[in-house]
Amino acid sequence: MYCNRLYANKPELAASRIDAIGYQVGHQLSERYTMERPRFTDHLDAIKFICKDFWSELFKKQIDNLKTNHRGTFVLQDNRFRWVSRMSLDPSENGDLSQENAEAAENKAVQEPNMHLHFSCGVIKGALHNLGIACAVSADPSQLPACSFVVRIKP
Amino acid sequence: MPPVGPRSGDAIFANVERVNAELFTLTYGAIVRQLLTDLEEVEEVNKQLDQMGYNIGIRLIDEFLAKSNVSRCVDFKETAEVIAKVGFKMFLGVTASVTNWDADGTCCSIVLEDNPLVDFVELPDTCQGLYYCNILSGVVRGALEMVSMKTEISWIRDMLRGDDAFELQVKLLKQIPEEYPYKDDE
Amino acid sequence: MQFFGGTEISPSLPASTASGNNGHMMYVFNRNGVCLLYREWNRPLHTLNQQQDHKLMFGLLFSLKSLTAKMDPTTPDKANLGVPQLPGQGCSFHSFRTNTYKLTFMESPSGIKIILVTHPRTGDLRESLKYIYNLYVEYVVKNPLYTPGTPIRCELFNTTLDQYVRSIS
Repeated sequence: MYCNRLYANKPELAASRIDAIGYQVGHQLSERYTMERPRFTDHLDAIKFICKDFWSELFKKQIDNLKTNHRGTFVLQDNRFRWVSRMSLDPSENGDLSQENAEAAENKAVQEPNMHLHFSCGVIKGALHNLGIACAVSADPSQLPACSFVVRIKP
Repeated sequence: MPPVGPRSGDAIFANVERVNAELFTLTYGAIVRQLLTDLEEVEEVNKQLDQMGYNIGIRLIDEFLAKSNVSRCVDFKETAEVIAKVGFKMFLGVTASVTNWDADGTCCSIVLEDNPLVDFVELPDTCQGLYYCNILSGVVRGALEMVSMKTEISWIRDMLRGDDAFELQVKLLKQIPEEYPYKDDE
Repeated sequence: MQFFGGTEISPSLPASTASGNNGHMMYVFNRNGVCLLYREWNRPLHTLNQQQDHKLMFGLLFSLKSLTAKMDPTTPDKANLGVPQLPGQGCSFHSFRTNTYKLTFMESPSGIKIILVTHPRTGDLRESLKYIYNLYVEYVVKNPLYTPGTPIRCELFNTTLDQYVRSIS
């Protein structure tokens, strides 16, 4: 996680690079972990695999909560996501004076952890791709140390 | 209160929560591959890996010191030993040895026979000149700089280039004392 | 291997005997004399502005260390008074006590200095400072949003620290 400061001055580029690195890793890992398994029957089956087996291999715990709208969007919540468990922000910048400041601070509070979460999103995306599911993944770290990942499966 | 001696690397390694080894190795591989794609020049990749290692090393040193109970790093010889024996064990789970001291005790080699970074790795011919594990030299350099030792580090042996071990040469350039940071008339 | 954080803090929590609220204030300096953290819990009197206060504290430690090393009767070759030392070089002090407060000090070989000022009757706090150093590692060094060498602004660290210092007896 420390490593990702490389493209500090080019946030967009950095995000896509970190995402790509995560993607490679997720792809390879899910290949390894599914070698001995029968193929998944549907999307939910594959997502459940990510929540249970895949997450357990990586973090020794499962995803705590899985929600879906039954139209291809899944929300995976880890109540204590290890990679952000030590992440904490400047207390003086939160709950600040004016409305505008508070908004700016909130923006920052979401953006900074987000940069570090591109890796995790890439991992999930890569893992699902390897199972034949094309999707987009985004993260919501606004409730640290909990973190939600939103998986939108491409039709 | 009796002084508490340094803890062994094995003891610390057994106690800390570890990251999945495959995840670690594959992530490092993916980073190197991404850098190769982005930067094209192998030399540039070596440099970036070293810089990333340095950034890690300057943070890692405090974790190393806090967990190992090492209370002083003034003597270069002792420090090199403790980094190799405790540090490598603690963070990589492998033991390194220190050899090839020069006559005045300012240059030595850290030898690794086993290295989790290179599991599953085979370098293609196009990567000639790449020091795949160059992040390690950066980590050691950064960590030593935080304990006042300015060093120069180079690879002597590399298993990915057909050698029988990994060997890092660590050369002490100078030790930097702590200066009083304020001017008197401030 | 645990680059990705999430470890238990060691050494384990030093045992405390009586109830706390003995902490007055705490400073953390790095090897360059930057005050990374100043935290106060009970300090009725401020005589200096904050910057002068930090500078004075750092100066006190710097001179006192130099002095204690110079006075060491067991080591033959010593540098002259005031000559800069390497962190951890020579002997050093770990605490002093006045009639109104006690100051406990520790320095890591990486030059991180932790100073805790407490009630004069508090016991040996060396293990407590080591524990605080471990907190610093877990919550500051491992916070990916923290840039090394800059003042610490981590909510998680502050709350954990406050909670711990309150328990010191």
